[in-house]
Amino acid sequence: MIPAAFDYVRAGSAEEAVELIGQHGEEAKFLAGGHSLLPLMRLRLAQPSVLVDIGRISDLSYIRDAGDHVAIGALTRHSEIEHSDVLAQHVPLLAHAASQVGDPQVRHRGTIGGSLAHADPASDLPATTLALGATYVAQGPGGTREIAAADFFESFLMSTLAADELLTEIRVPKMDGAGWSFQKFNRRAQDWAIVGVAAWRRNGAAGVGLVNMASTPVLATSVASALAGGASIADAAEQAAAEADPTADLNASVEYRIHLAKVLTRRALEAASA
Amino acid sequence: MTVGRSELRRDAPDKVTGAARYPADGFPAGALVARLVFSDQPHARVVALDIERARTSPGVVAVFTSADVPVNEYGLTLFDQPVFVGLEHTGRSPIPCDVSRWEADNIAFVVAESIEAADRAVALIDVEWEPLPVVADIDAALAGSTLIHPENGRDSNVYHSYKVCKGDIEAGWAAADVVIEGTYEFPYQEHAYLQPEAAVSYVDDAGRVTVEVAGQWTHEDQEQIAHALDLPRDDVRVIYPAIGGAFGGREDTTLQIVMALASWRLAARGERRPVTCRWSREESIVGHHKRHRGRVVARLGATHDGTITAVEADGWLDAGGYNYTTNKVLGNLHLGVAGCYEVPNARIDSHAVYTNAAIGGAFRGFGGPQAAFVAESQMTKLALALGLDPVELRRRNVLRDGSIGITQAVMPDGCTLPEVIEACVERAGLDEPLGDAPAFSPVASLAPAEEAVRRGRGFACAFKNVGFSFGFPERCEAEIHLHGDDDDEIARVELFHGGADVGQGAHQVFVQMAAEAVGVPVERVHGQFSDTATSGDSGSASASRLTWMAGNSILGAAEEAEKRWRDGDRPAVGRFRYTPPPTEEMDPETGACVPNFSYGYVAQAVEISVDVETGHVVVDRVTSAHDVGRAINPALVIGQIEGAVVQAHGYALSEDLQVRDGRILNPRLSTYLIPGIGDIPRRIEAVVLELADPLGPWGARGMAEMPFITYAPAVVAAVHDATGVWFDEFPLTPSRVLAGLRAAR
Repeated sequence: MIPAAFDYVRAGSAEEAVELIGQHGEEAKFLAGGHSLLPLMRLRLAQPSVLVDIGRISDLSYIRDAGDHVAIGALTRHSEIEHSDVLAQHVPLLAHAASQVGDPQVRHRGTIGGSLAHADPASDLPATTLALGATYVAQGPGGTREIAAADFFESFLMSTLAADELLTEIRVPKMDGAGWSFQKFNRRAQDWAIVGVAAWRRNGAAGVGLVNMASTPVLATSVASALAGGASIADAAEQAAAEADPTADLNASVEYRIHLAKVLTRRALEAASA
Repeated sequence: MTVGRSELRRDAPDKVTGAARYPADGFPAGALVARLVFSDQPHARVVALDIERARTSPGVVAVFTSADVPVNEYGLTLFDQPVFVGLEHTGRSPIPCDVSRWEADNIAFVVAESIEAADRAVALIDVEWEPLPVVADIDAALAGSTLIHPENGRDSNVYHSYKVCKGDIEAGWAAADVVIEGTYEFPYQEHAYLQPEAAVSYVDDAGRVTVEVAGQWTHEDQEQIAHALDLPRDDVRVIYPAIGGAFGGREDTTLQIVMALASWRLAARGERRPVTCRWSREESIVGHHKRHRGRVVARLGATHDGTITAVEADGWLDAGGYNYTTNKVLGNLHLGVAGCYEVPNARIDSHAVYTNAAIGGAFRGFGGPQAAFVAESQMTKLALALGLDPVELRRRNVLRDGSIGITQAVMPDGCTLPEVIEACVERAGLDEPLGDAPAFSPVASLAPAEEAVRRGRGFACAFKNVGFSFGFPERCEAEIHLHGDDDDEIARVELFHGGADVGQGAHQVFVQMAAEAVGVPVERVHGQFSDTATSGDSGSASASRLTWMAGNSILGAAEEAEKRWRDGDRPAVGRFRYTPPPTEEMDPETGACVPNFSYGYVAQAVEISVDVETGHVVVDRVTSAHDVGRAINPALVIGQIEGAVVQAHGYALSEDLQVRDGRILNPRLSTYLIPGIGDIPRRIEAVVLELADPLGPWGARGMAEMPFITYAPAVVAAVHDATGVWFDEFPLTPSRVLAGLRAAR
């Protein structure tokens, strides 16, 4: 439970961070809040030789009203998202989902960028931003690029972010009064979700993201299609696992996860429609 | 009066601020660092063991193996485990040491200059194993031909059994109008104390091999070390600093013998630096025993008016590879499986079974929770079959003063279970309809789903022995010194006592009782505890016995000291060994005996909510009623009740130790789910009765295990009340509950 030895460097800006990660190559990792990376290092599932600490880059921590979307700096902490007035007004689903991440200590350290870049399907924010149709901004040696959330998550703990790219901003479309719900089922309070569902609904449109139902966060497009086609909530929710491919672990079987996904999707959609 | 007051615990400030010294906080600078190497083989024979590369690795001071132990055996009540598995041995133990029967059997103890050096050496130990068939569980142990301890001469892995034959069982069934039958399976439980195992060892200035460690009985640790090292007991010293929880999990030893061995052997080489060792959480979970899993097949018969006519039960406990305290736990299961009721006719057979799975041993309740799960589930089922209120059925059968127990002995005077049941009924409002649910959410992050919620309540009651049972030698020693001041008043009282404060506050209670016994303010009492060099044999911190036994020993020592004070001795020294009324071993055919000298009594009611779509169970309210005889420190009594309920909550609902082919799959607290603050019952109401135990000090009874015992059956009954489905197996994880509800549809 003690990490392997590593070197540590601190970046003062996004540019410097990208430069440092370029210098140290494939074995280097960005360190933000540390709440995803450090546990992996303690279990020796990750053994980076260099940590590039980006935690003190102050200009990557912000929440701004940007017209049709809200722009969130990658180093914004979960607790800041949880308590943001801008998000409460325009993207309340994200603010609420952030309030359900771990415990207060985790939320005061963990960052949204770290959570997304870590690409853990069991985390709450990847599936939530996926359901909301967010866009992520990455900065690399050659400049910045935008990546749609739907194109970001590649496989377990793997994203399409290049090794020398830094996630800098998350752009989340405003919900414009859509109904929403976040349903997180865990076996122990403040623990990881066994299954989670983030859903919003407005008129005929809907978005449903699933936590911990595959090797990546899952966008349950079949549910949205069924609703758009006039299906009842109960019938649409039966499609919840159509895009999912859950695995069994010590805490839940595949069958139980699929069952939960359907029940929680139905509840989420009912709440979002109320 | 000091007794009866919720005095602030003397250790509280240090424990709250972090100043208290637990075993791993006392590691001296410059100490050697050790690693205990597990076999990692649930069942295998050693073919070759070569430690030369490890021994000569840089920074390694010594590597100890079976060859180094004078008498290579261990066992609290039955020597059946080698201290080390290996090839070389002195030949002085009849236990074959060339077979690993448990994944945490020890093969070597590496002592080095640093943890890095020790880790490197561990990786250099060359061991070759011949795999043996792994006896994975009770079924495999009973069915298969693989014997785990062939040296014991038995032709079966069943190695210890008890019987009860009472009355005329055929007549009992003939008189029964209703018969309830069930097969009950109960799970393992991990103690999950805050402080993983750690110890420091050295040879002290008086030449004693000394181990500072967290345990439950200094003198038993001393005895086990002395036996293995073939030393006189007085050459071994055991000291307990602050102990971070025990719950029975430190009843058996872990590091004690190997640490003493290392310091003893090293001192002979002139190496006198202290040796230290600290387990990780994973090592702790793999390396110490668990609450027993097992199975009971039970039958219960009664007449239409609810009078019990007969009980039959066949039970098995999974001991794992070694006995530890299984034979004693089995006795408690055996005694409790018929419940706390008058049973005229009974046949009970209980068996301890060796397997290669996790070791079973002592854990708060000591067989009582398993017994109560069976007995109380049977009783509630019987009540429903008879159309009787579950509490009313119990009223008609419950043990009371003058009742004859299952082993044909009269209950000790002061059997207050009827009063405890009524106190619970009254506080829990069981005579009133179940109230409305609070806005229900199965977990904090889930919105209420009222249409999926079913509420219910359940009740269970039980008794549990206070003190050692079935003829096990029971005693407790105390020593008190009275020092006078210039006016020849008693200015200072010194109390020497061995009893272990495992976190329950025993030392606080000892001090209060000593102050009361001598008749001085509590500030004048100074305690020295848990050091075999200064305190007598107290017996263990177990069996809810310590307040009861220590209190009686302190009363005796105080009386003796006062006599000497009157005779003019300054300081006046009183030493006393308290011995309670004797108990008896069970008759091998009928089980007849006087099993115990004192009992504690409990009745519990729980209110729960079930989400029938997810299977999630929430406990909304717990009423836990106890006769504690006399609460020496009421705040500590309530703390014990609340703590036990929380621990039982995990046992009943979330803790799910997974053991496959002899290996624990989830030896960490991220996957073995003990309840957190967001999971525990919303309301725990402790009802404390003080109906004196005639033999208890100031009337006190033991109480620390009792709140645990009834919780699982009460929750199971409540889930049935809510859903109409019985669960004869737990923990009630959401997936198990959902599967049960779906199967019943």
